[in-house]
Amino acid sequence: MELSNNMSKGKIIASGVIPFVFVILMMVYIFGPGADLLDFGVLLPEVTIEKIDFIDSEIQATVRNTGHIPVEVVMADVNDRIQPAAVEPDRFLERFETTLVRIPFEWNVAEPYTIGITVEDGTRFEKEVEAAAPALELSLDLAIFFAIIGTYVGIIPVMIGLLWLPFIKKISKQKYHFFLALTAGLLLFLAIDSIEEAVEVSDENLASSFNGTLLVATVTVLSFLGLYYAGNKLVSKANSSKFTKPVAIALMISIGIGLHNFGEGLAIGAAVGMGSIAFSTFLIVGFALHNTTEGLAIAAPMSRGKLMLGKLVAMGIIAGSPAIFGAWIGGFVYSPFTSVIFFGIGAGAIFQVIVVILKWIYDENDQKLSTMAVVSGFAVGMSVMYLTSILV
Amino acid sequence: MMILLLSLGIVFSVIVFFPSFSDAESGPKTFVTHSGAVIQTSGEIIDPLYTVSTVEFDPMEFLRDFNYGKVSQLSDGTVLREFTIVAEDDKIMEVSPGVFYNVWTFNGTVPGPTIRSTEGDLLRITFINNGSKEHTMHFHGIHPAEMDGVFEPVGGNGGQFVYEFEAGPVGVHPYHCHVMPLEEHIVHGLYGVFIVDPKEERSPADEMVMVLNGLDTDFDTENNFYAANTIPFYYQHHPIQINTDELIRIYVVNMVEFDPINNFHLHGNLYKYYPTGTDLVPSFYTDMITLSQTERGIMEFEYDFPGKYLFHAHKVEFSEKGWTGIFLVNDPTKKTVLEIDYGTK
Repeated sequence: MELSNNMSKGKIIASGVIPFVFVILMMVYIFGPGADLLDFGVLLPEVTIEKIDFIDSEIQATVRNTGHIPVEVVMADVNDRIQPAAVEPDRFLERFETTLVRIPFEWNVAEPYTIGITVEDGTRFEKEVEAAAPALELSLDLAIFFAIIGTYVGIIPVMIGLLWLPFIKKISKQKYHFFLALTAGLLLFLAIDSIEEAVEVSDENLASSFNGTLLVATVTVLSFLGLYYAGNKLVSKANSSKFTKPVAIALMISIGIGLHNFGEGLAIGAAVGMGSIAFSTFLIVGFALHNTTEGLAIAAPMSRGKLMLGKLVAMGIIAGSPAIFGAWIGGFVYSPFTSVIFFGIGAGAIFQVIVVILKWIYDENDQKLSTMAVVSGFAVGMSVMYLTSILV
Repeated sequence: MMILLLSLGIVFSVIVFFPSFSDAESGPKTFVTHSGAVIQTSGEIIDPLYTVSTVEFDPMEFLRDFNYGKVSQLSDGTVLREFTIVAEDDKIMEVSPGVFYNVWTFNGTVPGPTIRSTEGDLLRITFINNGSKEHTMHFHGIHPAEMDGVFEPVGGNGGQFVYEFEAGPVGVHPYHCHVMPLEEHIVHGLYGVFIVDPKEERSPADEMVMVLNGLDTDFDTENNFYAANTIPFYYQHHPIQINTDELIRIYVVNMVEFDPINNFHLHGNLYKYYPTGTDLVPSFYTDMITLSQTERGIMEFEYDFPGKYLFHAHKVEFSEKGWTGIFLVNDPTKKTVLEIDYGTK
């Protein structure tokens, strides 16, 4: 009996493995003896200039091979004028490999520059910078500056938003549902905003070989699933632990908003890093107004428990302070790829929170979502966010 | 078992997608920029401006190479000059360090050979098309309609045509393929220079040919490179050696496409300019001429002082993309250029 059990186990494993064996055989054949069969069409070299830094008397371009064949970087130009340059570590790029092209050049602050890279078949690829600004150097002053911006954009508005708590506490159940739905509306707007931002960054900076939109979709869904699973664990433990259900939900909202604010911090840091200072002042004012509503989102579920000032402040910090870390990373070590990833994670986190809130309303509201309070709350949430977003 | 297979699969795909990263050569290198800054790098230097590349086509040889053909005399005393020109369109040439481009050639080079004759000579040019497309030779100048190389396309893979006409008028003219799409046939390199000398020879001089051309290596109807005689920056890292008090005569032909104009500026001097070379009296005494497509002429000048003198397009975009060079003027009686102090110390 035990033997036959082992036999069937072996069979199951074998039947699982056999397709893999065939996949490997097929790959070996295609890359080996069958290579000629598939050798048609012309593969064109492609590189993408991912990043341009302006340092003292030098412009540095990070170049990635984003095509299907190895390429050789043979020439650099600034504004379509050929310049001598250095390539580190070397000019031969395998697929996805990057190299740093250093172009000695006396650039002028705030002027636009187009950097061109020519590969061995004479094809030129370019990237434009709207206004040259010195790459930010890591310094204490600047780190403090970013921390202050992050506080203005993240922590303070969220804290102000939390001040609505006493108001929400005193209102009727219907009105309370209105505010919960409003929160969901606010969050849905933020999630869409994050996705739009991620797609935009990937379109502008990442090569098409990264499949930008699908990358965003994948990261968003994975983030949603991961947090959904973890969140459910947290809520199911809520009854037995010191957390109450409202606290658990508020905590999840804080984490979701925190991840979103991290993305916003990245955007602000990057804007400062790229020298669009005026733009970032606007961004800061806009984000601050916008983020006040995020405090409301945390306050709404918390209003049904006891007033726990310490926990509330902690949640405000969880939601707001990532803006500071985001600004640091965005300003000092900006990479379009990480920013796309973080925007995607943020969007997934928010979707997860929306599902949790709706489920909570559904349970509290006699298994209904279609009441006037819920529908109008959702609509008002989206509208408020849209209107404040015009300021950004 | 599954895990083992999966990890094998991952390792396999890593090998497929990230094949051996190329090794950088060790040891720092240095290079000097235009502004004189010395840059040190642990990587490689890509510098078409000063890198002395080994090119298949030698602009220095082309510069003073004149093809007079196989000369014989007809019974009536007319000089007959016979040439054989072979067209090809499959050659890949390194035009700038590391940049490979499909050039279409007359006798294997861009520009094609400089065909030189005297006014009134009979020219017999056997044209063989070894390319894959139709090509012709269309000469600027005076000749019968059927010798114009426009309505008589010569088929590829060995097609032949014999162009026969009397050399004239006196001057410097281009010749080029005239098959449609014309722009494509010209920008790939099917052109050259045709010089008709006056019967009474011009005064002796150090003579050279400069074809001003452009290369659109990525086919976006904008030139990626410009040059005098095809190779960008060539006469900058290989200065043209001339002597003081010696007459220099340049036959200059503008074959740049896409950009409506080109020009020629000479440093530290002015030149006499004969547009199209058809008149023996110069029209201008200048250091700057503007040339439209296939516009050409003869420049004459002498240098009084030894040293290094630039010549370049004063359309700076062109000069910064390769159309720039240096005359290294030697004084044969005195010290060498290397001993000249530049600037004040």
